[in-house]
Amino acid sequence: MIVTLHLVALALYGLATALTLAPFMGVRPAPRALTIALPCAGAAIHVVGISQLTLVGLGPALSMLALCLVLLQLASEKLLRGSAVSFFAGPLATGLVGLAILSGLAPGAETVGARNTWFVLHVALSALGVALMALAFIAAALYLLQFRELKARRFGQIFQLFPPLELLDQLNRVALVTGFPALTLGVLLALGYGAQFSGGLHVAKAQLVWGIFTWVVLGWAVWVRLVRHWAGRRAALASIAGFCAVLLVYVALKLTQPGAERFL
Amino acid sequence: MTTGHTEMGIKVVGVNHRTAPLDVRERFAHGAHEVPGALARVMAAGASGGVLLSTCNRTEFYLVSGDEPALEAVWSLLGERLPSGAPPVGGAREYGYIARDRDAVRHLYRVSSGLDSMILGESQIQGQVREAWEASRAQAGPVLHRLFQTALHVGSRVRTETGLGMGTASAASAGVAVAGKIFGDLAGRSALILGAGDMAELAATCLTDQGVQITLVANRTQERARAIAERLGGKAVSLEEAWPHFATTDIALCSTAAPHAVVTWERVGTIIGARRGKPLCILDLAVPRDVDPAIAQLENVFLYDVDDLQTVAAQATTRRRDEIPAAERIVEEETDLFWAWYGGLGVVPTIKELRARMDHVRAAELERALRELDHLSPEDRAQLEQFSQVLLNKFLHQPTIALKKAAEEGHGYGLLEAVRRLFGMEPPA
Repeated sequence: MIVTLHLVALALYGLATALTLAPFMGVRPAPRALTIALPCAGAAIHVVGISQLTLVGLGPALSMLALCLVLLQLASEKLLRGSAVSFFAGPLATGLVGLAILSGLAPGAETVGARNTWFVLHVALSALGVALMALAFIAAALYLLQFRELKARRFGQIFQLFPPLELLDQLNRVALVTGFPALTLGVLLALGYGAQFSGGLHVAKAQLVWGIFTWVVLGWAVWVRLVRHWAGRRAALASIAGFCAVLLVYVALKLTQPGAERFL
Repeated sequence: MTTGHTEMGIKVVGVNHRTAPLDVRERFAHGAHEVPGALARVMAAGASGGVLLSTCNRTEFYLVSGDEPALEAVWSLLGERLPSGAPPVGGAREYGYIARDRDAVRHLYRVSSGLDSMILGESQIQGQVREAWEASRAQAGPVLHRLFQTALHVGSRVRTETGLGMGTASAASAGVAVAGKIFGDLAGRSALILGAGDMAELAATCLTDQGVQITLVANRTQERARAIAERLGGKAVSLEEAWPHFATTDIALCSTAAPHAVVTWERVGTIIGARRGKPLCILDLAVPRDVDPAIAQLENVFLYDVDDLQTVAAQATTRRRDEIPAAERIVEEETDLFWAWYGGLGVVPTIKELRARMDHVRAAELERALRELDHLSPEDRAQLEQFSQVLLNKFLHQPTIALKKAAEEGHGYGLLEAVRRLFGMEPPA
C-alpha cells in the first residue's frame, strides 16, 4: 500500500514536471490550474503514504524530503505567481520519490523508538531544513539565469517564464532564514533524542561531519545575508556555492566512509 | 417586463484610432465628469439607455435606441467639438462608424478583449470598459448593463483562455515589462526622466500607471520639464542636477533629443558604483542613444535601448497574432449567447400579445357571424367556434415557431420588429 501510494505520487509529480517543462520544448504551456492541481494531488497522496511510514532509514527520509520540497514548491508558486520553481523542484522531488522507492520504504531493524515524537520531529524538521536549503539553491539558480538573460538582453523563454529578480532574491532569503532554524532544531532534537532514549548519540562519524558541515554552511549563508547584507547576485552565488559544497562533501563521505550508506 | 427593446436596437456610434486621427480623437474624448451630460443629451433624443466609452483611442456611445434622432444627437454632440475653422463636410460622422444590433454586441466584445485595440491584446481597455459602465450606470438601462457585464466576462475569458494578453506590445510598455522582470511589483519604485518629449511622457505615463513615482524630470529646457513634472509628479531640474540621483533611483528613463550620449561613464559611473549592488534599470528610448553602452558593464545596471524594447514588443505581437482566431471564437460564442438572451427577451410577450390580438379579432368576427346565423343549433355554433379557434391556431403556429426559433438562434430581434410592424402592435409607452 505504501509503495503504491508512492508510485501514484511519483506519477503525478512526473506528469506535473513534464507539463511544466513543456514550454521549453516548444509545446504550448499547460493551464496553470493543472500544473498546480497535479502536484497538489500528488502531495495529498504522498502525505497519506508518509503517514503510514516509519520514519527511519534512507527511503523514508528521502520521501519526507521530497514531500517537503513539493509543499515548498507549491508555496513558492503562490508567492511568485508562476511555476518557475517547479522547473527545478519538480524533477528533484520526482527523482527523490523514485530514489525513496528504490531504496525501500519498509522499516529496517533500527525501528526502536521510531514512533517517538522527538525522532519524528527530528526527521521532519531536518528534511524541512534541507528542503528549504534546496529551495534557496533553486531560487539562486533561477536568479542567476534570469540575471544573465537580463544583462545579455535576451528575451526568450527564461525571460518570459522566470519570475522577477527581486522576487527570486526574496525567496532565496526567506528559504535560508527559515531553513537554518529548522535544521538547527532538527539537529538539537537528534541530540536530545540520543541523550534521552538511546543513552547517547550513536551516529556514524561521517554523518556527524556532514551534519555539522551542512549546519555551518547554511549558517554562513544566513550570516552573509543578515549580517553582511549581501543581496542579489552575490547572495545567489553564495547560496549555490554553499549548496554545492554540502552536496560534494555528502557524495565524498558516501563514497569513502564505511557504513555511510545508512544515513541520508 | 417592458418590451422596449423590441423596437429599440443596440447601437454603437463613435470613432476610434482607425477612423480618426489623434487630434480629432483628443477633441472627442470625454472626461468622467462630462459623461452624464453627454448621455442625457443623447437620451433626450430618443435613446432609452446609453453608455459612453471614452479612451485615448476611442469615443463610443453604446445606445439602446430605435431611431435616427439619437444617432444624430451623437454626431451633433461630437461635431460641436470639431474646430470651427474648417470642419469636414459631413461633420463628426466623417470620422465615425455605426454598428447595429449583433454587430454592436460583437464590437464591444472585441473592444473589451483587446482585439480592437491599437496595441493588440492590451489589457488596459478592460478597466476602461468597466469605468465607462460604472460612470454611465444611472443611464445604461438593463440591456446595456447586461451587455457591459458580459463584455467584461468576455474580456476575462479571452485573456485567461488565450495568449492574446501575453507579453507587451509597445516599446513603452515593453520597458515597463522589462523593469518588472527586475523589480517585480513596480508600485513605490522611483524613476527619473531625462528628456521631456512625447515619447518620454508616454513611457513615464506607462510607469506611473504601474505605481512608479516619478521623482525628477530633467531636461535642457526647464519649461517643458516643469509641464511634465506637474502632470506626472516629481521635480523639474536641469540635466546636470540629475546625475547625483543615479545613486538612488530605481529606474532611469532617457529620451532626450541630444545628438550624442548624455549619460556617460564619466558623469554617472562613480555615482552608480556607490549603489552597493542595488539594481538600476535604464530605459534608453532616444535615437540616437542617450546612454553610453559601457554603463551596462556596471554590476546590477540593466540597460535597454529602443531596439531591445522593440524586440520584446515584436515577440509579444507575433505571439498575440497567433491567438486572434481563438479570441474571435470566444467573442462569437459569447455574442451568440447574448443575442439569444436579447432576442428571447421580447419573444414571449410579443407572441402573447399577437395571440391576444388575433383572438380578439376572431371572437369579434365569430360573434358577428353568429348573429347572422341565428338558425344554427347550439352544437353547430360550438362547432363553428372550435373551427375558428383551430383556424387561428393553424395561422399562428408557423409564426410562433419561427419567432421562438429565431430567438433561440439570436435573430429574434429583427423578426419581432417585423411582426410588431406587420400586425400594428403599438410600441409601449
